[in-house]
Amino acid sequence: MSQSIQTQPPNNVSLLISQSRTNTLGNKTGTWRFVRPKYQEKTAPCSNACPLGIDVAMVEMFASRKDYQNALNTVLMENPFPAICGRVCFHPCESACNRQFLDQSVGIHHIERFIGHWGLNRTNISCKYPEFNGASIAIIGAGPAGLSVAYFARRLGYRCDIFEKSDNPGGLLKYGIPSYRLPDRILMDELHRLDDEGIQFKYAQSISMDQINALKQQYDALFLCCGDANSITLKISGEQFSIDGLDLLRQIRSNQMPLIEGTVAVIGGGNTAIDVARSVLRMGAHPVILYRRTRKEMPAHPHEIDAALSEGVLLKECLSPIDIQKNTNLFEVSFQRMKPGEKTNEGRQTYIPDGNRRETITFNHVVSAIGAEMDIMWRNELWDLSLSHCRMKKIEDQPVFWCGDLTTSEKTVTHALASGKQAVIAWDVMQNQKENEIHTICHQCQVGKGPALSFDIYTKGDRKNRNNTEIVKFEHVNTAYFPNIPAVQINKISQESCQNSFDEVISGFNESQMIEEATRCFNCGICNDCDTCRIFCPEMAIQWDNTTRHILMDYCKGCGICIEECPRDAMKLEVEP
Amino acid sequence: MCKNTQEMISGSIMAKKYPSDDYIMPGHVACPGCGAVIAMKFALQALGPKTILVIPACCWAVVAGVHPQTSLKVPVLHTAFETSGAAASGVRAALDMKGDTETTVVAWAGDGGTFDIGFQSLSGACERNENFLYVCYDNEAYMNTGVQRSSATPYGAQTTTTPRNAWKSHRKKNIIDVLAAHRIPYAATVNIAFPDDMMRKFKKAKDIQGTRFIHAYASCPTGWRIPSDQTVAISRLAVQTNLFPLYEVENGIDYTINYQGNRSIAEYLKVQGRFKHLTEKDHVDIQEMVNEDWQLLNNKAS
Amino acid sequence: MKEVLEGSHAVSEAVRLARAKVISAYPITPQTHIVEALSEYCADGSLDARFICVESEHSAMASCIGAASAGVRTFTASSSHGLALMHELLHWASGARLPIVMAEVNRALGPGWNIWMDQSDSLSQRDTGWIQLYCETAQEVLDTTLQAYRLAETVNLPVMVVLDAFFLSHTYEPVDIPDQQSVDKFLPSFEPRISLDQQNPNAIGQMAPPAYYMEMRHSIQMAMQSVMEHFIDVERQFEHVFGRSYGPITPFACDDAQYIFLMAGTSASTCRQAINSLRDKGHKVGVIKLKMFRPFPYQDVRKILKHAKKVIVLDRNCSFGAGGIFAQELRSAMYASDRHPQIFSFISGLGGRDVTVDHFFEMFDRIEKADYPDDESVWIGLNP
Repeated sequence: MSQSIQTQPPNNVSLLISQSRTNTLGNKTGTWRFVRPKYQEKTAPCSNACPLGIDVAMVEMFASRKDYQNALNTVLMENPFPAICGRVCFHPCESACNRQFLDQSVGIHHIERFIGHWGLNRTNISCKYPEFNGASIAIIGAGPAGLSVAYFARRLGYRCDIFEKSDNPGGLLKYGIPSYRLPDRILMDELHRLDDEGIQFKYAQSISMDQINALKQQYDALFLCCGDANSITLKISGEQFSIDGLDLLRQIRSNQMPLIEGTVAVIGGGNTAIDVARSVLRMGAHPVILYRRTRKEMPAHPHEIDAALSEGVLLKECLSPIDIQKNTNLFEVSFQRMKPGEKTNEGRQTYIPDGNRRETITFNHVVSAIGAEMDIMWRNELWDLSLSHCRMKKIEDQPVFWCGDLTTSEKTVTHALASGKQAVIAWDVMQNQKENEIHTICHQCQVGKGPALSFDIYTKGDRKNRNNTEIVKFEHVNTAYFPNIPAVQINKISQESCQNSFDEVISGFNESQMIEEATRCFNCGICNDCDTCRIFCPEMAIQWDNTTRHILMDYCKGCGICIEECPRDAMKLEVEP
Repeated sequence: MCKNTQEMISGSIMAKKYPSDDYIMPGHVACPGCGAVIAMKFALQALGPKTILVIPACCWAVVAGVHPQTSLKVPVLHTAFETSGAAASGVRAALDMKGDTETTVVAWAGDGGTFDIGFQSLSGACERNENFLYVCYDNEAYMNTGVQRSSATPYGAQTTTTPRNAWKSHRKKNIIDVLAAHRIPYAATVNIAFPDDMMRKFKKAKDIQGTRFIHAYASCPTGWRIPSDQTVAISRLAVQTNLFPLYEVENGIDYTINYQGNRSIAEYLKVQGRFKHLTEKDHVDIQEMVNEDWQLLNNKAS
Repeated sequence: MKEVLEGSHAVSEAVRLARAKVISAYPITPQTHIVEALSEYCADGSLDARFICVESEHSAMASCIGAASAGVRTFTASSSHGLALMHELLHWASGARLPIVMAEVNRALGPGWNIWMDQSDSLSQRDTGWIQLYCETAQEVLDTTLQAYRLAETVNLPVMVVLDAFFLSHTYEPVDIPDQQSVDKFLPSFEPRISLDQQNPNAIGQMAPPAYYMEMRHSIQMAMQSVMEHFIDVERQFEHVFGRSYGPITPFACDDAQYIFLMAGTSASTCRQAINSLRDKGHKVGVIKLKMFRPFPYQDVRKILKHAKKVIVLDRNCSFGAGGIFAQELRSAMYASDRHPQIFSFISGLGGRDVTVDHFFEMFDRIEKADYPDDESVWIGLNP
């Protein structure tokens, strides 16, 4: 058999079958849609509530990934002192946190403390302080407001000279807040952040209004951050027998332990009263807080009140002092009983004397802590600029800013820091010849619904792309992605230790606790690269090329699954143009 | 036995953990929000490129590409409606005879081609323990031909052949139990709202020899009358209400439940147009049926 | 090597020699011996193939389609209701242009249940796009099955090799079984032109909208039209190797015949006996055994019938309402010819009823006396 057998397929056989020879990429199914998705980050409620507008959601994201450098940098864009705020801030962020509607708020306060602590002794910040721009400012007072002015001004290139009447920086941070809340060591370490040739401290320099005129010649602007130096007096007979609460705290912080023992009346309901009560407790005395209204109306931070009471401080409500009489070593204080009166138009409960009901209580000491006010020389009525946290008046064409407790409605460390930032931004705008645009620019820089301003947005950071006025609501968080996990409990020293020492009460999170807690954060409104959108997209229209995620509009059919599934409301649906 | 883990819920997992290769190309003609496409997406990501799909008449027969296009990056054999079990058997036999033991043969059929018309060839293949993976993506009706009922249509649903007051009054066929009775080595349910679980099961099935069956819940916005963005949310509810439990059966006898749900069935029924005619009493009846089936499943798993 | 083989086993021997790789079948009388033998060959290793014991004929064809699409040589066999059950997939196999070879044992359709010889089953499938080749002897069955693979793989159309139930499937005849080496030379290993491709992933058998479908169907028809040419070629090569050929039709005593019988299957053998008797009596008669039915061999048939005056068609089948199917097809084929012999249609031998030489004599008598054929087929051999 020599003939070869035909094996080649003959070419005259028609073979046209249903078989693919191309793919579907030619079908631009994007033409189907009538709505389109978009990546649109929004403002988290915590940021919106923070007086400094810290990008909290972003901080928690970095913290949960152990990216402490970025977490710290994000905080430092808005707040120079996380180790401090992480101890003393009243954390409105936690009250606004969306997580509370699922299980419990995220422990933002303690996470900030951890990040702040990590940042101590690591002097690198997101940008080294820049070159000088030629202008210089004078800052009166080295309390939180003044320090904040120095920090933000230096970050914009200004030289800063801080005039401080005492021998140390910190203001109330140094002389007011007790060390069981803010240890001195922490304060000192945190202030290294301001170690720079462009920030000069001039101690033991008390500046009065007269010296302002002289200073004006040497500087391009002045920032008054002196705080409320004068305690408000009781204005009752025998008031000279009372000890000033702020003075007392200053003495304790200066290690001049006054001799306080026995029962101590602490008159007042604010943070100072609490600080005094808890301090004297630690000195072995028995404090009793006497307040003219009820606990609910006390202006002190609720968690501070709780801490005081749990440590054994007593609280007597609805008692207003009428007079103090000295009886050898003891003081007899007469109180008028108070009762609820009308409610104001705003719904505030007023208190009025309850007829003739009186009480007289005898104490070893009486401490007055009913508030403080600014020195009379700083009072002013007419302003050239009025913002939420600061004011400005031109004195012979030179801008002078009032900051901190001088101008803020709430007298807290955080508000003081915010005030400094706001004033610096306003000043910088003026320096750029845009004085008439201050309000517009502040509006552009506001976080959420304001009034906090973002330094990041002001300096044209990425945050400017976030939708500022839209605050993420809990309804828009997709809780399917978040199983119930209770908050990590913070560690505290024992009750006994509280009563016996000025050691810091709250120990803070360790690393694994911090990560656990930071992981609970929803990261409301920001994209944390969870990739849920891409994972579910049925059109394969969400692609990721190692740097960014983008939507292929040629193919997206607008089904909306990405938006529905996004766990943190970082996307938005728009009508197709 | 059973454990809910955080991994069951995606969204807290970062990009790099999920494969970025897609084996489906954009431009396919599935309805916006199609759950069956998401099912195929996860399945192929888990199975990889050495896969041959056998697709009978169903929605995916069109989504896979109309001549001369294909939307998939793996070879596809289209076959007649009721033949996936048999056709896949043939493909597997041919590959074996060619010495190819690495390629996974996957029959990918809808509920019609699995529960009803295709049931015979599937049963035959299971009985012979044919070495392929059979996936039924279940959108609970003959969707491709216009939403007519199948034996996978759940009790209470409206379809175009169970319209208005003649809504489906027979329970959904329990396909896993039926196939488990064939003693196939692996049968499991998966759900597109639980991608980690789904991919784990596909990877596991890939490495088992013999007939493996995966029942994939694939919601259908078009046929279920739900908004197209609810595809994943509704799928999740099906598991969380124990209506579509996630479980595995090995060798026909070892049952493992993967998730314990605790939500009421009314939450699932109220948000779908195909159930909106049901009354409160119907919800109660259906809840009883769900509880009964869930109890039966738990008995098997203990 | 010559052996006495049952018709069924002629099929199985051929399939073994053809080195089919995947066999998928469901048993139905009288095809069972084919698949049983193949099961044994697979079990004992004399055939390296996978035998899938599917659960229905529909699945048998589906498995063959799956296997053929994956690029291997396949085989199945069926009959009667099994073939009818496959109907949908017969269309699919040809539409998919897969070179599947099937042995089809001509058996009656019920009710009433009838397992015996009848052509209705295969002829009911004449529209499905399968090549149909009818065999008369066990040797022809073996040879045709081997040729079927060459032909199918050349034109990419499936082939049905048809044999009579019992008369051929279960009778023993001497058969020359070729050696494997010769068969390998005639029938090399399968090189599929259609296959699932892992390197360039393709989709086969997708939806084809109106813009594309008609061309695909036209392609099938074009392939069918090329079958004759390739069949001749395949037979020529077969004859070269094995010394046998059959032609699309096998005429007997037709050169000078005025009256020519036409039929398919074993009844042709019986008819030849009748022809010899009639010839002895001086009648100029002949018989055409029709081997190739699809595609219909117009040219060959017209050529043979050029000088015939009357054609007598025996149908062991009936298309109710239109009569015997071979007769219909012949009338249709002859209409376009310039010669129009009278075509007489007879139906006989359904459901295993014997067709005898006397029946042929009866048919001859009738047509000799008749001026014109009836519209309706005439039924021969009915019991009163």
